[in-house]
Amino acid sequence: LELGINFDHIWQKTLTVLHPLKVADGSIMNETDLAGPMVFCLAFGATLLLAGKIQFGYVYGISAIGCLGMFCLLNLMSMTGVSFGCVASVLGYCLLPMILLSSFAVIFSLQGMVGIILTAGIIGWCSFSASKIFISALAMEGQQLLVAYPCALLYGVFALISIF
Amino acid sequence: MATTAAPAGGARSGAGPEWGGFEENIQGGGSAVIDMENMDDTSGSSFEDMGELHQRLREEEVDADAAAAEEEDGDFLGMKGFKGQLSRQVADQMWQAGKRQASRAFSLYANIDILRPYFDVEPAQVRSRLLESMIPIKMVNFPQKIAGELYGPLMLVFTLVAILLHGMKTSDTIIREGTLMGTAIGTCFGYWLGVSSFIYFLAYLCNAQITMLQMLALLGYGLFGHCIVLFITYNIHLHALFYLFWLLVGGLSTLRMVAVLVSRTVGPTQRLLLCGTLAALHMLFLLYLHFAYHKVVEGILDTLEGPDIPPMQRVPRDIPAALPAARLSAAVLNATAKAVAVTLQSH
Repeated sequence: LELGINFDHIWQKTLTVLHPLKVADGSIMNETDLAGPMVFCLAFGATLLLAGKIQFGYVYGISAIGCLGMFCLLNLMSMTGVSFGCVASVLGYCLLPMILLSSFAVIFSLQGMVGIILTAGIIGWCSFSASKIFISALAMEGQQLLVAYPCALLYGVFALISIF
Repeated sequence: MATTAAPAGGARSGAGPEWGGFEENIQGGGSAVIDMENMDDTSGSSFEDMGELHQRLREEEVDADAAAAEEEDGDFLGMKGFKGQLSRQVADQMWQAGKRQASRAFSLYANIDILRPYFDVEPAQVRSRLLESMIPIKMVNFPQKIAGELYGPLMLVFTLVAILLHGMKTSDTIIREGTLMGTAIGTCFGYWLGVSSFIYFLAYLCNAQITMLQMLALLGYGLFGHCIVLFITYNIHLHALFYLFWLLVGGLSTLRMVAVLVSRTVGPTQRLLLCGTLAALHMLFLLYLHFAYHKVVEGILDTLEGPDIPPMQRVPRDIPAALPAARLSAAVLNATAKAVAVTLQSH
Protein backbone atom coordinates (compact mmCIF):
# COMPACT_ATOMS: atom_id res chain seq x y z
CA LEU A 1 0.00 0.00 0.00
CA GLU A 2 2.99 2.29 0.47
CA LEU A 3 3.55 2.22 -3.26
CA GLY A 4 -0.04 3.20 -3.90
CA ILE A 5 -0.80 -0.19 -5.44
CA ASN A 6 -3.95 -1.54 -3.94
CA PHE A 7 -3.85 -5.26 -4.64
CA ASP A 8 -7.42 -5.83 -3.64
CA HIS A 9 -8.69 -3.33 -6.19
CA ILE A 10 -6.46 -4.75 -8.89
CA TRP A 11 -7.81 -8.21 -8.20
CA GLN A 12 -11.40 -6.93 -8.21
CA LYS A 13 -10.95 -5.20 -11.53
CA THR A 14 -9.33 -8.29 -13.02
CA LEU A 15 -12.28 -10.40 -11.91
CA THR A 16 -14.70 -7.90 -13.43
CA VAL A 17 -12.92 -8.28 -16.74
CA LEU A 18 -12.79 -12.05 -16.55
CA HIS A 19 -16.49 -12.52 -15.81
CA PRO A 20 -18.18 -10.78 -18.71
CA LEU A 21 -21.64 -11.31 -17.34
CA LYS A 22 -20.91 -10.00 -13.88
CA VAL A 23 -22.32 -6.54 -13.25
CA ALA A 24 -19.60 -3.94 -12.83
CA ASP A 25 -19.42 -1.62 -9.87
CA GLY A 26 -19.16 1.99 -11.00
CA SER A 27 -17.00 3.10 -8.14
CA ILE A 28 -14.04 0.81 -8.75
CA MET A 29 -12.79 3.09 -11.45
CA ASN A 30 -12.50 6.05 -9.17
CA GLU A 31 -8.81 5.71 -8.54
CA THR A 32 -6.97 5.22 -11.78
CA ASP A 33 -4.16 2.78 -11.39
CA LEU A 34 -1.83 2.06 -14.24
CA ALA A 35 0.19 -0.68 -12.57
CA GLY A 36 -2.14 -3.45 -13.69
CA PRO A 37 -2.43 -2.29 -17.32
CA MET A 38 1.34 -1.86 -17.55
CA VAL A 39 1.82 -5.45 -16.42
CA PHE A 40 -0.75 -6.67 -18.92
CA CYS A 41 0.86 -4.76 -21.79
CA LEU A 42 4.23 -6.24 -20.92
CA ALA A 43 2.74 -9.70 -20.68
CA PHE A 44 1.12 -9.22 -24.09
CA GLY A 45 4.42 -8.17 -25.59
CA ALA A 46 6.12 -11.12 -23.92
CA THR A 47 3.68 -13.64 -25.34
CA LEU A 48 4.12 -12.09 -28.78
CA LEU A 49 7.86 -12.43 -28.29
CA LEU A 50 7.41 -16.11 -27.52
CA ALA A 51 5.63 -16.47 -30.84
CA GLY A 52 8.56 -14.88 -32.60
CA LYS A 53 7.18 -11.41 -33.20
CA ILE A 54 9.25 -8.61 -31.75
CA GLN A 55 6.60 -5.90 -31.84
CA PHE A 56 6.72 -4.03 -28.56
CA GLY A 57 6.82 -0.78 -30.47
CA TYR A 58 3.58 -1.53 -32.28
CA VAL A 59 1.85 -2.57 -29.05
CA TYR A 60 2.77 0.62 -27.23
CA GLY A 61 2.13 2.84 -30.23
CA ILE A 62 -1.29 1.41 -30.92
CA SER A 63 -2.27 1.45 -27.25
CA ALA A 64 -1.26 5.09 -26.93
CA ILE A 65 -3.16 6.19 -30.02
CA GLY A 66 -6.12 3.99 -29.16
CA CYS A 67 -6.33 5.37 -25.64
CA LEU A 68 -6.21 8.90 -26.97
CA GLY A 69 -8.97 8.17 -29.46
CA MET A 70 -11.21 6.53 -26.86
CA PHE A 71 -10.52 9.40 -24.48
CA CYS A 72 -11.73 11.96 -27.02
CA LEU A 73 -14.74 9.87 -27.99
CA LEU A 74 -15.85 9.18 -24.42
CA ASN A 75 -15.46 12.81 -23.47
CA LEU A 76 -17.70 13.73 -26.37
CA MET A 77 -20.29 11.09 -25.66
CA SER A 78 -20.67 11.22 -21.91
CA MET A 79 -22.34 13.84 -19.76
CA THR A 80 -19.53 13.95 -17.25
CA GLY A 81 -16.02 13.97 -18.60
CA VAL A 82 -13.50 11.22 -18.12
CA SER A 83 -9.81 11.41 -17.37
CA PHE A 84 -7.16 9.94 -19.61
CA GLY A 85 -5.82 7.79 -16.80
CA CYS A 86 -9.21 6.16 -16.31
CA VAL A 87 -9.52 5.32 -20.00
CA ALA A 88 -6.00 3.93 -20.16
CA SER A 89 -6.60 1.89 -17.04
CA VAL A 90 -9.84 0.30 -18.27
CA LEU A 91 -8.47 -0.46 -21.73
CA GLY A 92 -5.35 -1.94 -20.18
CA TYR A 93 -7.29 -4.24 -17.90
CA CYS A 94 -9.50 -5.46 -20.69
CA LEU A 95 -6.41 -6.48 -22.63
CA LEU A 96 -6.22 -9.55 -20.41
CA PRO A 97 -8.23 -11.91 -22.67
CA MET A 98 -6.06 -10.80 -25.60
CA ILE A 99 -3.07 -12.23 -23.70
CA LEU A 100 -4.85 -15.57 -23.71
CA LEU A 101 -5.21 -15.26 -27.48
CA SER A 102 -1.57 -14.44 -28.10
CA SER A 103 -0.39 -17.24 -25.82
CA PHE A 104 -2.60 -19.59 -27.80
CA ALA A 105 -0.90 -18.26 -30.94
CA VAL A 106 2.46 -19.35 -29.56
CA ILE A 107 1.57 -22.98 -29.97
CA PHE A 108 -1.11 -23.08 -32.66
CA SER A 109 -1.42 -20.93 -35.74
CA LEU A 110 -4.44 -18.68 -35.76
CA GLN A 111 -4.92 -18.53 -39.48
CA GLY A 112 -7.53 -21.22 -39.89
CA MET A 113 -11.26 -21.19 -39.24
CA VAL A 114 -10.74 -22.11 -35.57
CA GLY A 115 -8.40 -19.16 -35.23
CA ILE A 116 -10.88 -16.77 -36.76
CA ILE A 117 -13.71 -17.89 -34.50
CA LEU A 118 -11.50 -17.77 -31.41
CA THR A 119 -10.23 -14.32 -32.33
CA ALA A 120 -13.72 -12.99 -32.91
CA GLY A 121 -14.84 -14.40 -29.56
CA ILE A 122 -11.92 -12.89 -27.67
CA ILE A 123 -12.37 -9.49 -29.31
CA GLY A 124 -16.04 -9.60 -28.36
CA TRP A 125 -15.16 -10.53 -24.78
CA CYS A 126 -12.61 -7.70 -24.42
CA SER A 127 -14.84 -5.02 -25.88
CA PHE A 128 -17.88 -6.21 -23.95
CA SER A 129 -16.02 -5.96 -20.63
CA ALA A 130 -14.50 -2.61 -21.50
CA SER A 131 -17.83 -1.14 -22.53
CA LYS A 132 -19.50 -2.59 -19.44
CA ILE A 133 -17.01 -0.85 -17.15
CA PHE A 134 -17.20 2.41 -19.08
CA ILE A 135 -20.99 2.39 -19.03
CA SER A 136 -21.18 1.81 -15.29
CA ALA A 137 -18.48 4.36 -14.51
CA LEU A 138 -19.90 7.09 -16.74
CA ALA A 139 -23.61 6.35 -16.33
CA MET A 140 -24.32 6.12 -20.06
CA GLU A 141 -27.22 3.69 -20.21
CA GLY A 142 -28.38 2.46 -23.56
CA GLN A 143 -25.13 3.31 -25.30
CA GLN A 144 -23.19 0.17 -24.51
CA LEU A 145 -23.08 -0.93 -28.13
CA LEU A 146 -21.87 2.49 -29.21
CA VAL A 147 -18.99 2.29 -26.75
CA ALA A 148 -18.28 -1.36 -27.44
CA TYR A 149 -17.78 -0.89 -31.17
CA PRO A 150 -14.72 1.39 -31.05
CA CYS A 151 -13.23 -0.86 -28.36
CA ALA A 152 -13.79 -3.80 -30.68
CA LEU A 153 -11.96 -1.98 -33.48
CA LEU A 154 -9.04 -1.26 -31.16
CA TYR A 155 -8.78 -4.81 -29.89
CA GLY A 156 -9.20 -6.02 -33.45
CA VAL A 157 -6.01 -4.20 -34.39
CA PHE A 158 -4.27 -5.84 -31.43
CA ALA A 159 -5.54 -9.20 -32.61
CA LEU A 160 -4.18 -8.47 -36.08
CA ILE A 161 -0.76 -8.09 -34.52
CA SER A 162 -1.18 -11.44 -32.79
CA ILE A 163 -2.23 -13.28 -35.89
CA PHE A 164 0.16 -11.89 -38.48
CA MET B 1 -1.69 50.75 -25.85
CA ALA B 2 -0.01 53.75 -24.25
CA THR B 3 -3.03 54.39 -22.06
CA THR B 4 -3.09 50.88 -20.71
CA ALA B 5 0.63 50.95 -20.13
CA ALA B 6 0.38 53.95 -17.84
CA PRO B 7 -1.95 52.46 -15.23
CA ALA B 8 0.13 49.30 -15.25
CA GLY B 9 3.20 51.36 -14.54
CA GLY B 10 1.32 53.21 -11.85
CA ALA B 11 0.12 49.97 -10.34
CA ARG B 12 3.66 48.75 -10.36
CA SER B 13 4.97 51.59 -8.35
CA GLY B 14 2.05 51.07 -6.03
CA ALA B 15 3.12 47.47 -5.48
CA GLY B 16 6.14 48.45 -3.55
CA PRO B 17 9.07 50.82 -3.50
CA GLU B 18 11.41 48.16 -4.90
CA TRP B 19 9.68 48.32 -8.26
CA GLY B 20 9.87 52.10 -8.45
CA GLY B 21 13.64 51.70 -8.55
CA PHE B 22 13.42 49.94 -11.87
CA GLU B 23 11.84 52.85 -13.64
CA GLU B 24 14.56 55.19 -12.54
CA ASN B 25 17.14 52.75 -13.75
CA ILE B 26 18.26 52.85 -17.39
CA GLN B 27 17.22 49.27 -17.68
CA GLY B 28 13.77 50.34 -16.53
CA GLY B 29 13.01 50.70 -20.24
CA GLY B 30 13.27 46.94 -20.35
CA SER B 31 10.26 46.48 -18.16
CA ALA B 32 8.25 48.92 -20.26
CA VAL B 33 9.18 46.90 -23.35
CA ILE B 34 7.95 43.77 -21.68
CA ASP B 35 4.81 45.60 -20.81
CA MET B 36 4.15 46.39 -24.47
CA GLU B 37 4.80 42.83 -25.46
CA ASN B 38 2.31 41.65 -22.93
CA MET B 39 -0.18 44.12 -24.29
CA ASP B 40 0.36 42.82 -27.80
CA ASP B 41 -1.45 39.59 -27.28
CA THR B 42 -4.68 41.13 -26.05
CA SER B 43 -6.16 41.27 -29.50
CA GLY B 44 -9.65 40.67 -28.16
CA SER B 45 -12.12 42.90 -26.41
CA SER B 46 -11.36 45.29 -23.63
CA PHE B 47 -12.70 42.67 -21.25
CA GLU B 48 -9.63 40.70 -21.95
CA ASP B 49 -7.46 43.71 -21.33
CA MET B 50 -9.05 44.28 -17.95
CA GLY B 51 -8.84 40.64 -17.13
CA GLU B 52 -5.21 40.63 -18.18
CA LEU B 53 -4.62 43.69 -16.09
CA HIS B 54 -6.14 42.22 -12.97
CA GLN B 55 -4.32 38.99 -13.43
CA ARG B 56 -1.03 40.75 -13.97
CA LEU B 57 -1.60 42.94 -10.91
CA ARG B 58 -2.12 39.86 -8.81
CA GLU B 59 0.89 38.14 -10.31
CA GLU B 60 3.01 41.18 -9.79
CA GLU B 61 2.05 41.32 -6.16
CA VAL B 62 3.18 37.75 -5.80
CA ASP B 63 6.30 38.53 -7.79
CA ALA B 64 6.95 41.60 -5.74
CA ASP B 65 6.82 39.56 -2.54
CA ALA B 66 9.18 37.03 -4.01
CA ALA B 67 11.38 39.79 -5.36
CA ALA B 68 11.42 41.45 -1.96
CA ALA B 69 12.84 38.29 -0.45
CA GLU B 70 15.41 38.00 -3.22
CA GLU B 71 16.19 41.70 -3.23
CA GLU B 72 17.79 41.40 0.17
CA ASP B 73 20.17 38.78 -1.13
CA GLY B 74 20.77 40.88 -4.22
CA ASP B 75 21.65 43.93 -2.20
CA PHE B 76 24.02 41.83 -0.22
CA LEU B 77 25.82 40.79 -3.41
CA GLY B 78 26.00 44.33 -4.68
CA MET B 79 25.50 45.55 -8.24
CA LYS B 80 26.25 42.19 -9.89
CA GLY B 81 23.51 40.51 -7.86
CA PHE B 82 21.14 43.29 -8.83
CA LYS B 83 21.63 42.70 -12.56
CA GLY B 84 21.24 38.95 -12.01
CA GLN B 85 17.93 39.64 -10.30
CA LEU B 86 16.79 41.72 -13.26
CA SER B 87 17.63 39.09 -15.82
CA ARG B 88 15.85 36.49 -13.78
CA GLN B 89 12.78 38.67 -13.46
CA VAL B 90 12.84 39.35 -17.18
CA ALA B 91 13.05 35.66 -17.97
CA ASP B 92 10.28 34.95 -15.51
CA GLN B 93 7.97 37.48 -17.08
CA MET B 94 8.66 36.22 -20.57
CA TRP B 95 7.82 32.72 -19.38
CA GLN B 96 4.58 33.86 -17.78
CA ALA B 97 3.56 35.77 -20.89
CA GLY B 98 4.33 32.82 -23.12
CA LYS B 99 2.47 30.43 -20.86
CA ARG B 100 -0.59 32.65 -20.79
CA GLN B 101 -0.63 32.94 -24.54
CA ALA B 102 -0.22 29.22 -25.04
CA SER B 103 -2.95 28.29 -22.58
CA ARG B 104 -5.35 30.73 -24.21
CA ALA B 105 -4.65 29.37 -27.67
CA PHE B 106 -5.02 25.83 -26.39
CA SER B 107 -8.36 26.45 -24.75
CA LEU B 108 -9.58 28.12 -27.92
CA TYR B 109 -8.55 25.52 -30.50
CA ALA B 110 -8.55 22.33 -28.51
CA ASN B 111 -12.06 22.86 -27.28
CA ILE B 112 -13.65 19.69 -28.58
CA ASP B 113 -16.85 20.44 -26.77
CA ILE B 114 -18.16 22.12 -29.90
CA LEU B 115 -18.39 18.65 -31.42
CA ARG B 116 -20.36 17.27 -28.51
CA PRO B 117 -23.88 17.59 -29.98
CA TYR B 118 -22.88 15.58 -33.04
CA PHE B 119 -22.12 12.50 -30.98
CA ASP B 120 -25.43 12.34 -29.17
CA VAL B 121 -26.90 9.24 -30.77
CA GLU B 122 -28.50 5.97 -29.84
CA PRO B 123 -27.72 2.54 -31.25
CA ALA B 124 -31.13 2.26 -32.89
CA GLN B 125 -30.61 5.53 -34.72
CA VAL B 126 -27.20 4.49 -35.99
CA ARG B 127 -28.54 1.16 -37.14
CA SER B 128 -31.44 2.70 -39.04
CA ARG B 129 -29.16 5.27 -40.68
CA LEU B 130 -26.78 2.55 -41.77
CA LEU B 131 -29.57 0.66 -43.44
CA GLU B 132 -31.02 3.78 -45.02
CA SER B 133 -27.68 4.64 -46.57
CA MET B 134 -28.18 1.75 -48.95
CA ILE B 135 -31.69 2.69 -50.02
CA PRO B 136 -31.96 5.40 -52.66
CA ILE B 137 -35.08 7.53 -52.33
CA LYS B 138 -36.80 8.58 -55.52
CA MET B 139 -38.36 11.74 -54.19
CA VAL B 140 -36.17 14.53 -55.50
CA ASN B 141 -38.65 17.36 -55.57
CA PHE B 142 -37.92 18.77 -52.18
CA PRO B 143 -34.84 18.54 -49.99
CA GLN B 144 -34.29 15.26 -48.25
CA LYS B 145 -33.29 15.23 -44.62
CA ILE B 146 -29.69 14.42 -43.74
CA ALA B 147 -28.83 13.46 -40.19
CA GLY B 148 -26.03 15.70 -39.00
CA GLU B 149 -24.08 13.42 -36.76
CA LEU B 150 -20.46 12.40 -36.73
CA TYR B 151 -20.42 9.19 -34.69
CA GLY B 152 -21.60 6.91 -37.49
CA PRO B 153 -19.32 8.32 -40.20
CA LEU B 154 -16.30 8.32 -37.88
CA MET B 155 -16.86 4.71 -36.89
CA LEU B 156 -17.32 3.73 -40.52
CA VAL B 157 -14.04 5.39 -41.50
CA PHE B 158 -12.27 3.54 -38.70
CA THR B 159 -13.91 0.30 -39.79
CA LEU B 160 -12.65 0.89 -43.30
CA VAL B 161 -9.17 1.44 -41.88
CA ALA B 162 -9.40 -1.86 -40.01
CA ILE B 163 -10.61 -3.72 -43.10
CA LEU B 164 -7.83 -2.19 -45.18
CA LEU B 165 -5.26 -3.24 -42.59
CA HIS B 166 -6.65 -6.74 -42.62
CA GLY B 167 -6.52 -6.80 -46.40
CA MET B 168 -2.98 -5.50 -46.46
CA LYS B 169 -1.88 -8.09 -43.95
CA THR B 170 -3.49 -10.98 -45.80
CA SER B 171 -1.99 -9.88 -49.09
CA ASP B 172 1.43 -9.21 -47.53
CA THR B 173 1.61 -5.68 -48.81
CA ILE B 174 4.95 -4.04 -48.20
CA ILE B 175 4.86 -0.28 -47.92
CA ARG B 176 8.29 1.12 -48.60
CA GLU B 177 8.04 4.63 -47.29
CA GLY B 178 5.80 4.78 -44.26
CA THR B 179 3.89 2.27 -42.28
CA LEU B 180 0.89 0.06 -42.98
CA MET B 181 -1.15 1.79 -40.31
CA GLY B 182 -0.22 5.24 -41.55
CA THR B 183 -1.12 4.40 -45.13
CA ALA B 184 -4.48 2.95 -44.18
CA ILE B 185 -5.43 5.84 -41.94
CA GLY B 186 -4.16 8.38 -44.44
CA THR B 187 -6.08 6.85 -47.31
CA CYS B 188 -9.40 6.57 -45.51
CA PHE B 189 -9.37 9.86 -43.66
CA GLY B 190 -7.94 11.60 -46.68
CA TYR B 191 -10.79 10.35 -48.81
CA TRP B 192 -13.48 11.19 -46.27
CA LEU B 193 -12.25 14.68 -45.44
CA GLY B 194 -10.82 15.55 -48.82
CA VAL B 195 -13.69 14.46 -51.01
CA SER B 196 -16.22 15.95 -48.58
CA SER B 197 -14.48 19.30 -48.78
CA PHE B 198 -14.20 19.10 -52.54
CA ILE B 199 -17.85 18.23 -53.03
CA TYR B 200 -18.81 20.92 -50.51
CA PHE B 201 -16.84 23.40 -52.57
CA LEU B 202 -18.57 22.24 -55.75
CA ALA B 203 -21.91 22.43 -53.97
CA TYR B 204 -21.09 25.99 -53.05
CA LEU B 205 -20.38 26.74 -56.71
CA CYS B 206 -23.52 24.96 -57.85
CA ASN B 207 -25.64 26.65 -55.21
CA ALA B 208 -26.71 23.44 -53.52
CA GLN B 209 -28.19 23.56 -50.05
CA ILE B 210 -25.89 21.44 -47.98
CA THR B 211 -23.64 22.22 -45.04
CA MET B 212 -20.19 20.83 -44.45
CA LEU B 213 -21.41 18.72 -41.54
CA GLN B 214 -24.15 17.20 -43.67
CA MET B 215 -21.70 16.48 -46.46
CA LEU B 216 -19.33 14.77 -44.03
CA ALA B 217 -22.20 12.70 -42.63
CA LEU B 218 -23.51 11.79 -46.09
CA LEU B 219 -20.16 10.66 -47.43
CA GLY B 220 -19.34 8.88 -44.20
CA TYR B 221 -22.48 6.79 -44.36
CA GLY B 222 -21.77 6.18 -48.03
CA LEU B 223 -18.64 4.33 -46.94
CA PHE B 224 -20.85 1.63 -45.43
CA GLY B 225 -21.21 0.07 -48.87
CA HIS B 226 -17.44 0.18 -49.35
CA CYS B 227 -16.90 -1.59 -46.03
CA ILE B 228 -19.27 -4.41 -46.95
CA VAL B 229 -17.80 -4.93 -50.42
CA LEU B 230 -14.21 -4.89 -49.24
CA PHE B 231 -14.88 -7.12 -46.27
CA ILE B 232 -16.35 -9.78 -48.52
CA THR B 233 -13.96 -9.51 -51.44
CA TYR B 234 -10.75 -9.35 -49.41
CA ASN B 235 -11.64 -12.80 -48.16
CA ILE B 236 -13.10 -14.31 -51.32
CA HIS B 237 -10.81 -13.46 -54.20
CA LEU B 238 -13.15 -13.71 -57.15
CA HIS B 239 -12.94 -10.91 -59.64
CA ALA B 240 -16.41 -11.46 -61.07
CA LEU B 241 -17.85 -11.35 -57.58
CA PHE B 242 -16.06 -8.10 -56.91
CA TYR B 243 -17.41 -6.47 -60.09
CA LEU B 244 -20.90 -7.61 -59.20
CA PHE B 245 -20.68 -6.16 -55.72
CA TRP B 246 -19.01 -3.04 -57.02
CA LEU B 247 -21.93 -2.33 -59.27
CA LEU B 248 -24.67 -3.45 -56.91
CA VAL B 249 -23.63 -2.30 -53.46
CA GLY B 250 -21.39 0.54 -54.53
CA GLY B 251 -24.00 1.64 -56.99
CA LEU B 252 -26.77 1.61 -54.38
CA SER B 253 -24.90 3.77 -51.90
CA THR B 254 -23.81 6.13 -54.66
CA LEU B 255 -27.38 6.40 -55.91
CA ARG B 256 -28.56 7.29 -52.44
CA MET B 257 -26.01 10.08 -52.09
CA VAL B 258 -26.77 11.31 -55.58
CA ALA B 259 -30.51 11.37 -54.89
CA VAL B 260 -29.98 13.42 -51.75
CA LEU B 261 -27.78 15.89 -53.58
CA VAL B 262 -30.15 16.16 -56.52
CA SER B 263 -33.01 16.93 -54.15
CA ARG B 264 -30.97 19.82 -52.80
CA THR B 265 -29.75 21.31 -56.08
CA VAL B 266 -31.58 23.37 -58.67
CA GLY B 267 -30.75 23.30 -62.36
CA PRO B 268 -29.79 20.40 -64.61
CA THR B 269 -26.19 21.44 -65.28
CA GLN B 270 -25.42 21.89 -61.63
CA ARG B 271 -27.03 18.60 -60.74
CA LEU B 272 -25.06 16.83 -63.42
CA LEU B 273 -21.77 18.35 -62.37
CA LEU B 274 -22.19 17.70 -58.67
CA CYS B 275 -23.62 14.22 -58.86
CA GLY B 276 -21.37 13.11 -61.67
CA THR B 277 -18.29 14.10 -59.72
CA LEU B 278 -19.47 12.41 -56.54
CA ALA B 279 -20.50 9.22 -58.31
CA ALA B 280 -17.21 9.00 -60.19
CA LEU B 281 -15.08 9.60 -57.11
CA HIS B 282 -17.04 7.20 -54.94
CA MET B 283 -17.02 4.31 -57.38
CA LEU B 284 -13.42 4.84 -58.39
CA PHE B 285 -12.32 4.85 -54.75
CA LEU B 286 -13.82 1.41 -54.23
CA LEU B 287 -12.11 0.18 -57.37
CA TYR B 288 -8.82 1.61 -56.20
CA LEU B 289 -9.09 0.08 -52.72
CA HIS B 290 -9.72 -3.33 -54.14
CA PHE B 291 -7.01 -3.39 -56.75
CA ALA B 292 -4.29 -1.54 -54.90
CA TYR B 293 -3.92 -4.40 -52.46
CA HIS B 294 -5.00 -7.22 -54.70
CA LYS B 295 -2.34 -6.95 -57.39
CA VAL B 296 0.27 -7.90 -54.84
CA VAL B 297 -1.36 -11.27 -54.35
CA GLU B 298 -1.33 -11.90 -58.05
CA GLY B 299 2.25 -10.74 -58.34
CA ILE B 300 3.32 -13.28 -55.76
CA LEU B 301 1.29 -16.01 -57.43
CA ASP B 302 2.87 -15.28 -60.79
CA THR B 303 6.37 -15.54 -59.44
CA LEU B 304 5.54 -18.79 -57.67
CA GLU B 305 4.45 -20.40 -60.93
CA GLY B 306 7.76 -20.74 -62.73
CA PRO B 307 8.59 -20.64 -66.45
CA ASP B 308 6.27 -23.35 -67.78
CA ILE B 309 3.07 -21.36 -68.05
CA PRO B 310 1.37 -20.68 -71.35
CA PRO B 311 1.30 -16.94 -72.05
CA MET B 312 -2.51 -16.93 -71.79
CA GLN B 313 -2.35 -17.38 -68.06
CA ARG B 314 -0.28 -14.28 -67.49
CA VAL B 315 -3.42 -12.30 -68.21
CA PRO B 316 -4.62 -11.92 -64.56
CA ARG B 317 -2.50 -8.81 -64.13
CA ASP B 318 -4.29 -7.04 -66.94
CA ILE B 319 -7.79 -7.61 -65.74
CA PRO B 320 -8.43 -4.00 -64.68
CA ALA B 321 -7.89 -2.97 -68.28
CA ALA B 322 -11.20 -4.70 -69.18
CA LEU B 323 -10.38 -7.61 -71.46
CA PRO B 324 -12.77 -9.95 -73.30
CA ALA B 325 -14.94 -12.24 -71.25
CA ALA B 326 -13.29 -15.50 -72.34
CA ARG B 327 -9.90 -14.47 -71.05
CA LEU B 328 -11.62 -13.06 -68.01
CA SER B 329 -13.26 -16.32 -67.05
CA ALA B 330 -10.05 -18.28 -67.64
CA ALA B 331 -8.12 -15.81 -65.57
CA VAL B 332 -10.74 -15.88 -62.82
CA LEU B 333 -10.56 -19.65 -62.59
CA ASN B 334 -6.79 -19.47 -62.59
CA ALA B 335 -6.69 -16.81 -59.93
CA THR B 336 -8.99 -18.77 -57.63
CA ALA B 337 -7.08 -21.99 -58.17
CA LYS B 338 -3.80 -20.28 -57.46
CA ALA B 339 -5.19 -18.57 -54.38
CA VAL B 340 -6.36 -21.92 -53.04
CA ALA B 341 -2.98 -23.46 -53.81
CA VAL B 342 -1.14 -20.71 -52.03
CA THR B 343 -3.28 -20.93 -48.93
CA LEU B 344 -2.84 -24.68 -48.84
CA GLN B 345 0.91 -24.29 -49.25
CA SER B 346 1.22 -21.77 -46.49
CA HIS B 347 -0.41 -24.17 -44.05
